[in-house]
Amino acid sequence: MLGRRGATVPAAPQVLEAGAHVLLAEGVGKTIDEAVLLLPTDMELRSAECVVLRGPNGSGKTTLLRILAGTVPPSEGEATLDGSPVDERSELTRTVIAALIGPPATYRDLTLVDHLVLIGSTWGEVGAPAAGRADAMLELLEIDHLAERFPHELSSGQQQLFHLAMVLVRPSSFLVLDEPEQRLDTDKRDLLTRILLDRKAAGTGLLIACHDPAMTDVLADAILDIQPA
Amino acid sequence: MTGADRQRLRQVRAAILGDRPDTSLSSALYPVYVAAVAAVSYGVPAAQQLARSVDERWLAEHAWSPAGAIVAVTVTALLMALVWLAGRVHGPVLPPLPYLDLVVASPMPRKVTLARNWRLSLGGSVVGGLMVGAVAGAGLAIAEVASPTVLLPATAGGGLLGVLFAELWLRGQLRDGEMPFARNDRLPAGSGQGASHLSRRLSTRRNTLALLDITSLRRQAASTVTMGGAVLAGDLRMVRLDAARPVKRARRVRLRASVPLAVIARRDLLGLRRAPGSALYGLGFTAAGSAGLMLSLLSPRTPTVAPLLSLVVAYLGFGAWCEGLRQHSDNSGTSRLLGLAYRDTAIAHLVVPVSAWSLTTIVSGAGLLLAGLATPAALVWTLGVGTLLAGAHLMAAFRGPPPISAFGQGGVAMMIFWYARPLLATLVVGTATTAWAARAATPWTLFSWLLLASAAVVKWGLTLVDKRDRRD
Repeated sequence: MLGRRGATVPAAPQVLEAGAHVLLAEGVGKTIDEAVLLLPTDMELRSAECVVLRGPNGSGKTTLLRILAGTVPPSEGEATLDGSPVDERSELTRTVIAALIGPPATYRDLTLVDHLVLIGSTWGEVGAPAAGRADAMLELLEIDHLAERFPHELSSGQQQLFHLAMVLVRPSSFLVLDEPEQRLDTDKRDLLTRILLDRKAAGTGLLIACHDPAMTDVLADAILDIQPA
Repeated sequence: MTGADRQRLRQVRAAILGDRPDTSLSSALYPVYVAAVAAVSYGVPAAQQLARSVDERWLAEHAWSPAGAIVAVTVTALLMALVWLAGRVHGPVLPPLPYLDLVVASPMPRKVTLARNWRLSLGGSVVGGLMVGAVAGAGLAIAEVASPTVLLPATAGGGLLGVLFAELWLRGQLRDGEMPFARNDRLPAGSGQGASHLSRRLSTRRNTLALLDITSLRRQAASTVTMGGAVLAGDLRMVRLDAARPVKRARRVRLRASVPLAVIARRDLLGLRRAPGSALYGLGFTAAGSAGLMLSLLSPRTPTVAPLLSLVVAYLGFGAWCEGLRQHSDNSGTSRLLGLAYRDTAIAHLVVPVSAWSLTTIVSGAGLLLAGLATPAALVWTLGVGTLLAGAHLMAAFRGPPPISAFGQGGVAMMIFWYARPLLATLVVGTATTAWAARAATPWTLFSWLLLASAAVVKWGLTLVDKRDRRD
């Protein structure tokens, strides 16, 4: 089903629902000049499935996530979403995939709740539902008491929860997350794991680079070990 | 400053200098020498040409009229406001970080440890004012627009403005700090001054130096280092972000959900509400710039410099309302979470500045129309200039990092030219068409040229937006 050319830990396959999406990497690699950032890699992610990427620093996990989120083109191989090339500029890619790879775009003059309302509105939520969803998302991540803070007034862990809220509040079928557990304490890691499990159960596909063994054990249907070039 | 203070400061300077000779005087005088040479070589001929280009009758009519006085007072007030605001970001008293940590933070009186830096800034401001006054006076005298005796009051006036600007600059820096002692009317223990004295003597410079707190001094000094590097690297985005103050206002006012394009406009309005300084600065500059443009169209004898300066002011005012647009550009390359296409989001960010420009122009135009100082055609013309400004600010926000290095071929001059392209496009298109329209029997043919050229500038801006979207 999926495999890094050479290093794959298979996991229990998921039964696909009708009309589910498929995110596919076939021999995807990235080289800039002489530097090899990612060796050719295969991967397949379907709805309601979780693939966890593991590997040492510099092995190319983030590069693979970027390619599969459509923000970086591969220099070899092909990344497709439902058979079309993954490209963040295409509406299909943006609609289906929500990515948190590095800090997302924030406005320094908007509070946390404003950001979530803005994101919800641009995805078609108007009026009370958007405001309600924004509040509910902050509550879900237990940062509702920070709703009226500006991004620069948060600690690094709070920033991470806020960034996760921004990604989770928008509709998506796939979540692509680069080390979502970073800077979170143990309780918040457990909370995040529960939220992601719920998302998976609701049909969202998860592609996560993760260094937390406990999270990986709970979430992963398949683990892709990436070795450095 | 007591004798003991002087002695301690001498010891500190000796420790800092070590065996090296003290070159501080020559270091301070060299920029004065360069500025003087530049003023004589370029400033005086330019001022002379400018004075000659102005129609004498027009100058005589307007220079001493109430409108002329209003313009002079407004320009001076705007400059004073700018100087004060500059002090809040980078004040006149900014010693190097090690000096701050090791000397200013010591128990020595702050007015002693910071006096040297203040004197340098004050001196620079006064010398700069004297030079500007002398250059302006010499230009007028050589062009025979005024008698040579104008040189003396012009120079003295420039010097006085230099003193005034330096004081305002320092006040701005003081406002940047937390000012705990100013608010509570207390000075730190050992400062030798009681509470009751402070409020009475707050207006004196020495106390202003004593009130500067180490936190804001350190922040501004560190920011100077960052900005210096960013300027050399040509990264004006870094300069802008470093200069930006953290937003804290109106946090309880919530963004209201709306349809995608409208919510972006609401976002920008909320941003301006939380940054009232920018909103007011934009309002003042836009009102002045749009009024200047309408006045420029009043007479065929209006000097070309009038629409040019008006456009510079209008460009700055319009830009104050474009923070949302710039933040959208800043976010390029990060994970995108909005459900709008990149280009559509950029266009949506123009709704507020264009609307604000139009409203301000209509209000100032109505005032001028009632006073008989503008025509309806001038009002329509100035509204059209809004398209040009929108295009120019699209260009400015999405120009990205410079393709050239300050240290490479062409160097600083090429980099400045590259950065100034949006402003230059505004000035070339706006000044040429406006000056021509003022001299034409009917401005409508030229108005279509203005709109066509503005559309080209907008197209250029959108091309840069698409380029950023592609991350070329």
